[in-house]
Amino acid sequence: MIYKLLIIHQLKESKRSSFWQKQIALNIVIGFFILLMLLYLLVLGLFIDKILGELYPNDNPIDIFNGIIIYYFGMELMLRFMIQALPTINIESYLHLPIKKTAIVHYLNLRSLLAIGNYLPLLVFIPFAFKVLLPHYSGFVAFIWILSMFFIALANNYLAIYIKRQMTSKPMITGIAAITLIIFILLDYFKIISVTSVSRYLFNALIVHTIWIIIPVLLLIFNYLLNFYFLKTKLYTEELSQKKEEISNTSKAFQYLKHYGHTGQLILKDIKLIWRHKRTRSIVYMAPLFLGYGLLLYNQEIYMSRNGFLIFIGIFMTGGMMLNYLNYVFSYESGHFDFVLSNYKDFDKYLEQKFIFAIAIATISYIITIPYVLYGFKILFINTMTWLYNIGVLSYLLLFTATFSSKRMDLSKAATFNYQGLGATHWLSILPFFLMPLLVYLPFSLLDYPIGGFIVIGTMGFLGLTFHKPIMKMLNKQFVKKKYNMASGFRQNN
Amino acid sequence: MIEAINLTKVYSGTKVLDIKDLKIGKGEAFGLVGNNGAGKTTFFRLILDLIKADTGMVLSNGKNVKGLNDWKYYTGSHLDDGFLIDFLSPEEYFEFVADVHKLSKGDLEEFYINFKDFFNNEILDKKKYIRDFSSGNKQKIGIAAALMAKPEIVILDEPFNSLDPTTQIRLKNLLNKLKEEKQLSMLISSHDLNHITEVCNRIVILEKGKIVQDKPTNENTLKELTEYFAV
Repeated sequence: MIYKLLIIHQLKESKRSSFWQKQIALNIVIGFFILLMLLYLLVLGLFIDKILGELYPNDNPIDIFNGIIIYYFGMELMLRFMIQALPTINIESYLHLPIKKTAIVHYLNLRSLLAIGNYLPLLVFIPFAFKVLLPHYSGFVAFIWILSMFFIALANNYLAIYIKRQMTSKPMITGIAAITLIIFILLDYFKIISVTSVSRYLFNALIVHTIWIIIPVLLLIFNYLLNFYFLKTKLYTEELSQKKEEISNTSKAFQYLKHYGHTGQLILKDIKLIWRHKRTRSIVYMAPLFLGYGLLLYNQEIYMSRNGFLIFIGIFMTGGMMLNYLNYVFSYESGHFDFVLSNYKDFDKYLEQKFIFAIAIATISYIITIPYVLYGFKILFINTMTWLYNIGVLSYLLLFTATFSSKRMDLSKAATFNYQGLGATHWLSILPFFLMPLLVYLPFSLLDYPIGGFIVIGTMGFLGLTFHKPIMKMLNKQFVKKKYNMASGFRQNN
Repeated sequence: MIEAINLTKVYSGTKVLDIKDLKIGKGEAFGLVGNNGAGKTTFFRLILDLIKADTGMVLSNGKNVKGLNDWKYYTGSHLDDGFLIDFLSPEEYFEFVADVHKLSKGDLEEFYINFKDFFNNEILDKKKYIRDFSSGNKQKIGIAAALMAKPEIVILDEPFNSLDPTTQIRLKNLLNKLKEEKQLSMLISSHDLNHITEVCNRIVILEKGKIVQDKPTNENTLKELTEYFAV
């Protein structure tokens, strides 16, 4: 049985990968978070009737619940898109064997059914059906309702996977999906259409006429086939290897960097690296997402009054792109790391270049966020302080932690099956750096002296920059210590 | 030029390299042969400070290579594709290597003239990235880059691999010329006994990490080597 073999191979692959073995601590943390979420959801499910009764004492809880389901699935779609890892397989090792291509594709598709996200909502839906639906409707209706929710969750799963897969091959489709979502949010916000009532209408119909379960079923089948045909056409080694590209001229714009000596050359090379790989290029396309956060949040009164939240947003906006670069700064070079080690005479300069490029990215991000001053001078002030923190503290910390990631990142591998570092682990490992300034701010907030807190955050960055030389010396020592470990990891295929 | 003292490397309990004392002199063409897993690449990586030795050390010009960067000024190397920056075009790559070694524009132009034959019109002005070249042409790019800065020592791991016959012969001639004119020290490994006996004046056989034979090349070397490996 081919499926069984594939499953065994994958289990072995993940068990034997150095990544898994080294990241046990991180995996335990993630496991803990998942457990916590399970608990939350279970509590929510068990008390859903009470909660709805408290919040909307005059309305029918079924109406209310059905009205928000669509929001829930929209949120779920976004979360899945960001967090859920794509099922992957090292396809080249199987293509030349007498295995049906469709079998491989079905296997890949079916594997995503194991994603825990598919089963989490049941923790809310099942108690809801028992406590709220059952008193009014028959067991059969409740059962069909639960089943429909489950099918929609699965359809959502395949939709998220499809959009994520397209992100690297056709970023347009991801863009269209994002725009569609935004349009719906805006239409609802300006009360042109009411998503709530649409949702209520649809899901109430399901309770009245159980036959409508056919819609979720068809949706699931459709999304499944979408993935199936997409992957099937990609299953040629030709498609797998990245298409031969004409020498791009985009980096020509940066040719003047050459005149800035060795560091300029190194930065130019990094720009080429980013621009000539789909994987890294798609991160650049994500820039508006990072920088546009303010547009979404500064509008709302509840956020504007929460300084801690504003600090977090400031760090995220001015540092998000820098973080994407620094987090894997050495892994990006895994393809030619041996060249780096055996040819670069001066690792000081090498690290200096990484630092300069990183703070340049942060500074450009900061400059782009300056117009947010329209939302108040406070925003500009906070963003300036967080920018200082980013270039003077976060930058060094990320350079330091980057020396620990020794997983090969095969950028020239086909984009379709290459999604290293796009999952939750990526974000979780650096979360403490984002929380640190909040921790610093906390006592000032308690003393009701927020401005002092902002200034201290900025001062931290300023201090970091003042001690640039000794810090870089330390980082150089760390790099030299870790370089063997990184190099041996980068040499490993997978 | 290069000296390995008590050099050992252990991978998961097995000693993959164990060299008591090995000296490679200036202008010497040192050939390393041995079956897969004999420790050839491991030895080269240790010389280039790419992996950590478990005991012992490698001296280059009397200085430990570990932690020092002096040797990088006079050592050129190409072991595998990890030495290429594959998202650059060959021209960009050469320009970058030239910058790393602080060569001038004139040096780079001279390099292009010297390697014109070797490239055989297959490398330059192709308007593609290195990653899109065939493995033979990638090999050419790597070897050329290793020789670009006119090093005193060059380390090549199986340089004849995947080269076409014409280029193999050209590479042999090029290496022989550099050896005679510039007193270049060469460390070359190969599975091709023919080529290596033609280029090297000293052949060392490695077996399971140990030196089992170390002889200067003469007219009988090829025969002896063939006999040794014909088990």
